[in-house]
Amino acid sequence: MAIDRPGVLGAGTPAFLTTKLDFVVNWARRNSLWPMPFGTACCAIEMMASAASDHDLARFGMERMSFSPRQADVLICAGRVPYKLAPVLRRIWDQMMQPKWCISMGACASSGGVFDVYSMVQGIDTIVPVDVYIPGCPPRPEALIYGLMMVQEKIRGESLARHAELRAEDPEAAGRPKAGDQEVSDVTGPFGNSTQQNRVSGLVETSATGRAADRLP
Amino acid sequence: MNADAGEAGGAKKAFDFGAVVRGPGPGGETAPASRPARAQAPVNPSVDALRSRFGPAVLRHQVNAGDEDVVYVEPERIADVLRWLREEPSEHYDHLADLTAVDYGGGRPVEVVYQLWSIPRRKALRLKCELALDALEIDSATAVWTGADWLEREVYDLFGVRFRGHPNLCRILMPDNYAEGHPLRKDFPLRGRFSRAEQTRRALSQEPEDYYAPGEFGGRAPQTVQDSEDAPEEAEAAE
Repeated sequence: MAIDRPGVLGAGTPAFLTTKLDFVVNWARRNSLWPMPFGTACCAIEMMASAASDHDLARFGMERMSFSPRQADVLICAGRVPYKLAPVLRRIWDQMMQPKWCISMGACASSGGVFDVYSMVQGIDTIVPVDVYIPGCPPRPEALIYGLMMVQEKIRGESLARHAELRAEDPEAAGRPKAGDQEVSDVTGPFGNSTQQNRVSGLVETSATGRAADRLP
Repeated sequence: MNADAGEAGGAKKAFDFGAVVRGPGPGGETAPASRPARAQAPVNPSVDALRSRFGPAVLRHQVNAGDEDVVYVEPERIADVLRWLREEPSEHYDHLADLTAVDYGGGRPVEVVYQLWSIPRRKALRLKCELALDALEIDSATAVWTGADWLEREVYDLFGVRFRGHPNLCRILMPDNYAEGHPLRKDFPLRGRFSRAEQTRRALSQEPEDYYAPGEFGGRAPQTVQDSEDAPEEAEAAE
């Protein structure tokens, strides 16, 4: 039926077109990105709003949230990740099939955010490789959609010729930190917030004696 | 700080929040008699009942925020006090609403807090036990309220208070292999004791399955799938 309609593949024209294999593969990949939602906090609420009818993530190919990592293409880590949850995040990432991408949604997932404390992963890029960071606390659904479209742009630039380089995985690395010790120290350094602790300066004292209200009378 | 809280003796604690001290305080001082009149709910009769029943084991009594009765109890007697409060028909505090602890810092003792509620009498009572930092040990309340189990584990996990007689005193919030101490203590550094790299490495060395009992995975125990005889490690990693 379609062959009878006038158009690109209309009547009288050959029913094929030539293109680059890269383009076709990337076109298929970027327009059917199924997200694996890893929602742990308020960012997940915005992620749900993105999938709901007002913003309708499905318009861009994120047809449904894939709650199984085996059928997912892009991991959206939405929310803070405590250290106790780090092995779970890492395992979900290891379970996802190549090709796969990762979005770090919001300040907490990207850097720990305000939770610069003993219990919180200071940026999930120490655990898994991240393709796109979305700033915001939490980001609006438009920001998440924009981040997903940036993943699509990234896919557009990929090439099968570089597949081994881009998509190779080391089975030995499963369950291990993504970043080395030095890199973890670099990206998780204190941001000079109001506490007195600063590992770089060697001052690690945070006892309550520093706060006037807590001093003994 | 409330205006009428500052006029008590010099040994008064810094954290008072407008508390009215009745009876001898920690330094032996008594509350001044002339106190500005304020609307006050009648004191919970359980306080006097506790005094007459346990005498010196009841250290002092505060009224916080107008109507919240706080009784400081000798830590050695806390198990008896809790059991009596629950089983005495005139008291009947049958619900342990919360069990927690507070570290005020500065070397002051850690306070273990028992928030009781009597469902039939609709009365609340708060008990506190002060534990010196070098002797953080107290009798468990699990024999009185089974529900104290996880609450005491939480207090142990975050403050390091050991509960004598607890059936399973282990960490509940922090990972099992957490080796940095008890994070809610005031002497605990905000960002932990280890470097971030070490914390990340330790975090990823956890086995999340260990937090669950075998039956919790869809009603059956997790099964190890073994592909070949010579590669058992691969089979475990692929699970």
